[in-house]
Amino acid sequence: MISMRNVSKKYAADKPALADVDVEIGSGEFVFLVGHSGSGKSTFIKLLLREILPSTGEITVAGQDVVKMKNWKVPYLRRNIGCVFQDFKLLPNKTTYENVAFALEVIGRSKHVIRTQVPEVLRLVGLEEKVDSYPDELSGGEQQRVSIARAFVNRPPMLLADEPTGNLDPATSLGIMSLLNRINKTGTTILIATHDREMVDSMRKRVIALENGRIIRDQSRGVYGYGD
Amino acid sequence: MGINPGYFVGEAFQSFRRNWVMSLVAVTIIYISLLVMGAFFLTGTLLNKVVSSFEQKVSISVFLKDGAAPADVQSLQQNLVADKRIKGVDYVSKAQALEKFKERTKNVPQLVEQLRGNPLPASLEVSLVDPRQVREVVKTIEADANLAKVIKNPGNPEADDIKYAQEVVDRLFQATNVVRLFVAVFMVLLFIVSLVLIGNTIRLAIYSRRREIGIMRLVGASNWFISTPFLMEGVIQSTLGALLAILTLVLAQSFIVPWLQSTLRFLPVTITSAALGQLSALLLLSGIVIGLLGSGAATRRYLKV
Repeated sequence: MISMRNVSKKYAADKPALADVDVEIGSGEFVFLVGHSGSGKSTFIKLLLREILPSTGEITVAGQDVVKMKNWKVPYLRRNIGCVFQDFKLLPNKTTYENVAFALEVIGRSKHVIRTQVPEVLRLVGLEEKVDSYPDELSGGEQQRVSIARAFVNRPPMLLADEPTGNLDPATSLGIMSLLNRINKTGTTILIATHDREMVDSMRKRVIALENGRIIRDQSRGVYGYGD
Repeated sequence: MGINPGYFVGEAFQSFRRNWVMSLVAVTIIYISLLVMGAFFLTGTLLNKVVSSFEQKVSISVFLKDGAAPADVQSLQQNLVADKRIKGVDYVSKAQALEKFKERTKNVPQLVEQLRGNPLPASLEVSLVDPRQVREVVKTIEADANLAKVIKNPGNPEADDIKYAQEVVDRLFQATNVVRLFVAVFMVLLFIVSLVLIGNTIRLAIYSRRREIGIMRLVGASNWFISTPFLMEGVIQSTLGALLAILTLVLAQSFIVPWLQSTLRFLPVTITSAALGQLSALLLLSGIVIGLLGSGAATRRYLKV
């Protein structure tokens, strides 16, 4: 699903944000990407979404060569990657239903598709009672569920979550993680960038640890590590 | 794909409502630019009519001496007809000249009664393809060897024998050229201002929707899908300005032209419906081009698509 070969990214000449990263993530995997601030997590995610290009190396996402890709094709790459962020990125003037439907509208899905897929995904994330609520009427956990529903409504082969539980309390975070786990069970690849130690330790999934732009550890059924 | 085209129009109008002050300013400036352009266009068509009616009157008259040999007159006439700058050459005999004189002076018949015999000369009336070439053609006529044989005063033909209305034409063309230049410069300035203003309203529209745009990018909306509502907004603004300008001009000319007709009886002042059709097409097209250019530049710059 994701393949990086000798990928480096330098913003400034002296200190690379990513250096010689070699990674393979298979279809249907559940992976944590851990590391301190400045370790290169954000750069890693931006490269996958092709918000930036690597200085050197090859990147393939969902069978597409991200580096050689023409600019106009980037939107079609992003339709294969559902994105979830720490700050939810919901539109405040739209209801739960409208926020999720928006993701389908803007990629040109028909009204019929929208009417069947949106209720379905809202049921999956457990928000069927809140379809007409606006974001400011929802708790943080509920808002994150809306944003997961929006990321997943188009059934992309992979979900990318950047600190999805960063703004949530531990109990709510647990709910979000088990939701992501359930989505993973449908065959969707999940990549979560986080520094939520308890979460990583309790899930026992593959962990890729970054430090100073290099992969220092890659273990299946791993823990957060770093010993501090 | 089931994209509803109403989506783009709806988005564009919504944004119009959101930034209505800036939109109003942009529409007003486009309206003024196109109004100037259209007014100039209409004045131009009127002036063209007037000028061409003058142009038909600008012919060169070569007066022939009595008893000029018909063969010489004919060979001069043939030489002139062969000249590409000359539209036609009419021979007016002494009798015809007298008829014309009677016609012109029929309000004062005593004038003709006092004439003894026919003192009017025969003449060649030379009409031109382009009246601006009058002087050159006169030079050519003067250079013709046959001329000396058929006129009274070969030493100085322009004293009596060759007549033409050069100065009227010259002044007319000078005046219209100056006006044309002035209006062209003014219009370029107005167009630039229109472009900047449309660009600015689109920039504001993009800014007020930056969250939505960010999410659209995130979920993979294509570039054209993101930028079309903004292009549409620019085109709607400029089309509105154009329609208002067309309406104003059509109304204005329906009052002004009859008034001109009654004040300037001796000039042919009319605007055909074909000219009004051209005017509408011109303004609408210019408006759409301005709108597309302005909003296109803004989306390119601020959406980075």
